[in-house]
Amino acid sequence: MGSRNRNLMGKVAIITGGGTGLGKAIALVLARAGGADVVVAGRRVEPLEQTAKEARAIGQRALAVPTDVTDSQQVNRMIERTLSEMGKIDILINSAGIPSSHLEPIEDITDEEWHRSISANLTGTFFCCRAVARHFLAQKSGKVINISAGGGLRGGRDNYAYCAAKAGVISLTCSLAWSWARDNIQVNNIAPGWFDVSSLQPQTEPPKIPANVVQERGARIPVGRAGIPQEIGFLALFLASDASDYITGQTFIMDGGSLGAAHAPAGYVPAITLKED
Amino acid sequence: MVSEEFTLWGETALVAGDSRFWSKYVAAALAEAGADVAVAARNSKKLDEAVRQVLRLGRKAMAIPIDMTKSSHIEKMVEQVLAEFGKIDILVNASDPEFVKPFVEIKEDEWHRIVETSLFSVFHCCQAVGKHMLERKKGRLINITSCLAERGLTNSSAYCVAMGGILQLTRALALEWARDGITVNAIGPAWFSETGKTGMGQEDVLLRYLPSKRYGHPEEIGSLLVYLASDASDFITGQLVYVDGAVMVHI
Repeated sequence: MGSRNRNLMGKVAIITGGGTGLGKAIALVLARAGGADVVVAGRRVEPLEQTAKEARAIGQRALAVPTDVTDSQQVNRMIERTLSEMGKIDILINSAGIPSSHLEPIEDITDEEWHRSISANLTGTFFCCRAVARHFLAQKSGKVINISAGGGLRGGRDNYAYCAAKAGVISLTCSLAWSWARDNIQVNNIAPGWFDVSSLQPQTEPPKIPANVVQERGARIPVGRAGIPQEIGFLALFLASDASDYITGQTFIMDGGSLGAAHAPAGYVPAITLKED
Repeated sequence: MVSEEFTLWGETALVAGDSRFWSKYVAAALAEAGADVAVAARNSKKLDEAVRQVLRLGRKAMAIPIDMTKSSHIEKMVEQVLAEFGKIDILVNASDPEFVKPFVEIKEDEWHRIVETSLFSVFHCCQAVGKHMLERKKGRLINITSCLAERGLTNSSAYCVAMGGILQLTRALALEWARDGITVNAIGPAWFSETGKTGMGQEDVLLRYLPSKRYGHPEEIGSLLVYLASDASDFITGQLVYVDGAVMVHI
């Protein structure tokens, strides 16, 4: 209880997708504020090495393991390598995924497009959970934090595979939470709203989100701004700590009120004046 | 290595509405994170217990015994806290009435009493404290409701209505005050007990059903409460988070 137990000193956390975006923010908050040692896994080696370098600069042990999470053999090898080099795993954060890059009417979506999104956004999370299961069950402790999305709770226009995959992640979270409720393994889910991740992209790449877009999209969010990636990091820190041991199977929506406002546009104020008798 | 994003140093909290179960643990969690705490509810030795917890942790504390169904009492409660602490950063509405009865046997005054001691007191407190928070453009409202805000339970109709009402108030207020620096969230506990028994009967049947095979202890909502009260949760509003050992994933 309180802040005392939020300490992740001596714990080892795997963060998939830890090279860029929210995954990177989570890895660095766990290292800096939690004192955790971090393992970052993802497809591209340079961003992973960069995150690991920044974590080491903070004073934590860090390991970059290039991994395609859609390949179960690579996932299993990543888990084995973590165990042999870091000694154990306490926390698994499934943050790897691909955004819905192009939206198309359902009749135009190819088999490959569908499978690619489901693999990256759902199957990869399943592979990682399966790969740590024996280790977590044997040590009778573990924390899994999956990253879903508002689209997994609602829907998105012409955004079929991504939303279905994210809904699948929420469902996977619920079943794992139930299955492991007596094994001291907690499984929760974070559904981020819209976050400005431009500061977390590799410096060699042009910014994906222009500043005016951040402003415009922020204005459409009830609280009036985009999320800051570190905010997801601190939620992950809470969920990775002993402080959250009785919380499992939950989806934490961190979206500045966006999903709650779906009944009307953000900022809409009904102006009906009721006549009083 | 405590991260300062989770601490509540210099903050002032008001815990209102519960003199039965939560106040002691909620007050202790907030005080442990650094907040000064006022506790207001029907007069009970539980209020004094809560105050003792806060003082033991080295924070300022005050008990305000009041009738939560009277708006004049609630106005006065806010004045007293402001006179003593100067501000209110955090309001926790912790009403949790015990009431189990078959629907057809519920008397009109009982229905009013249950709805009034929970839903109406939350309404009054949010309004009275909310005015102060709107002036300061800063605030955290945390309503303790229940899994029964979204599930049903036999002989619990009045309770379910009250808890569901608190949830909807949470959602609507979150949007109304989204641009005023105030977040409004709810915590939904499942089966909780201080002693390992709920006193509701058929304990073994219930425990067998629960995925975690145990009840929660009231101090187990403390860490989530502190998180939702802290700056770290600034982008979370209008949400209900269950603390339930996986009950809500049960089919």
